[in-house]
Amino acid sequence: MQRIALTFGALLVSLSISGTAFAGDALDALMDAPVDATVPADPAAAPGAAGNPAALGSQMEGIKRDLVELKRDLVVLEEDLLYPASTQVAVFLSMDVGEFFALDSVTLKLNGKDVTHYLYTEKQADALFRGGVQRLFVGNVKQGENQLTAFFTGKGPEGRDYRRATTVTFEKSFEPSYVELKISDSTAKYQPEFVATVSP
Amino acid sequence: MKLAKIIAAACVCVPALCQAVAVSDVAPDFTLKSIDGKNTRLKEYRGQVVLINFWASWCGPCRQEMPLLERIDERYKGAGFTVLGVNVEGKAGPAKDVAKKAGVSFPVLVDEGQKVSELYDLESMPSSVVVDRDGVVRYVHRGYKPGDEAKYLEVVKKLINK
Repeated sequence: MQRIALTFGALLVSLSISGTAFAGDALDALMDAPVDATVPADPAAAPGAAGNPAALGSQMEGIKRDLVELKRDLVVLEEDLLYPASTQVAVFLSMDVGEFFALDSVTLKLNGKDVTHYLYTEKQADALFRGGVQRLFVGNVKQGENQLTAFFTGKGPEGRDYRRATTVTFEKSFEPSYVELKISDSTAKYQPEFVATVSP
Repeated sequence: MKLAKIIAAACVCVPALCQAVAVSDVAPDFTLKSIDGKNTRLKEYRGQVVLINFWASWCGPCRQEMPLLERIDERYKGAGFTVLGVNVEGKAGPAKDVAKKAGVSFPVLVDEGQKVSELYDLESMPSSVVVDRDGVVRYVHRGYKPGDEAKYLEVVKKLINK
């Protein structure tokens, strides 16, 4: 490890570029200095690592497994406590094709109040384009009539800025409600379509 | 028994939520629009060492620091390092002007609504947070005075070397 560190330090020296005026000369010297390989970057990682690697490895595996189980239990408990079925509403977003629309952001309004705003990176939009479904929001609503509005922004046909909204009114019962927002292409109109469906 | 574990974990987690971002914390994730109009998410930089620099156009030390950050970014970006500038003013205009003047090539993001600044609980301007390849905060620096870049370099070099 020490050897790799020293090699990398030497590599940095060999890659040095000539500095320009300002505070940069000192900065260049610092950038050219090799890394102090005797000091570990993570102080917690160094001590004890020299023990029994196999035992330590299996112990780490056990701790990781416990952590995954604990996280799962916490998620289930959180959902049961914070979003009971009688008031729970979850909103999902999917995209079918997406040739006429490049998604940039979605804003959700529930009963007139902003509940979430989400910006999509290229990778995230691509994941939706490939068939991914995103859970956009989970929250509580009163039983009875509720209204959800989703605002979509992005680039439409011909790369023009595009902003559309879709509204759905749904009746909340004692069961959890699921709303699916779907962006699809209308080949007849050469336009994207934004549809919201509620179940049950 | 499981419930006890969950409660214990919650007791550990709740005070942590109330504090500013600290060394060894997982860096809070965010997605912001850059001055080029591209949405950028911190989590997508996993595997790289990231220096998040919070700045504002009205802040003198921020403008002083920016060309030095650009040079560090230029120098180490091939080694798995990047600088993410986060302008806290919430408007792309002033951020664009300053970034252009300083010749910045690293992504400059605009923190509309100051949600990310709140998330990182900024106490001074500029502030820099260095995040390792696993998304863990390894260094937090408040303010800037000439010479502070040496500290950034020390941390960055160690982390990319790890």
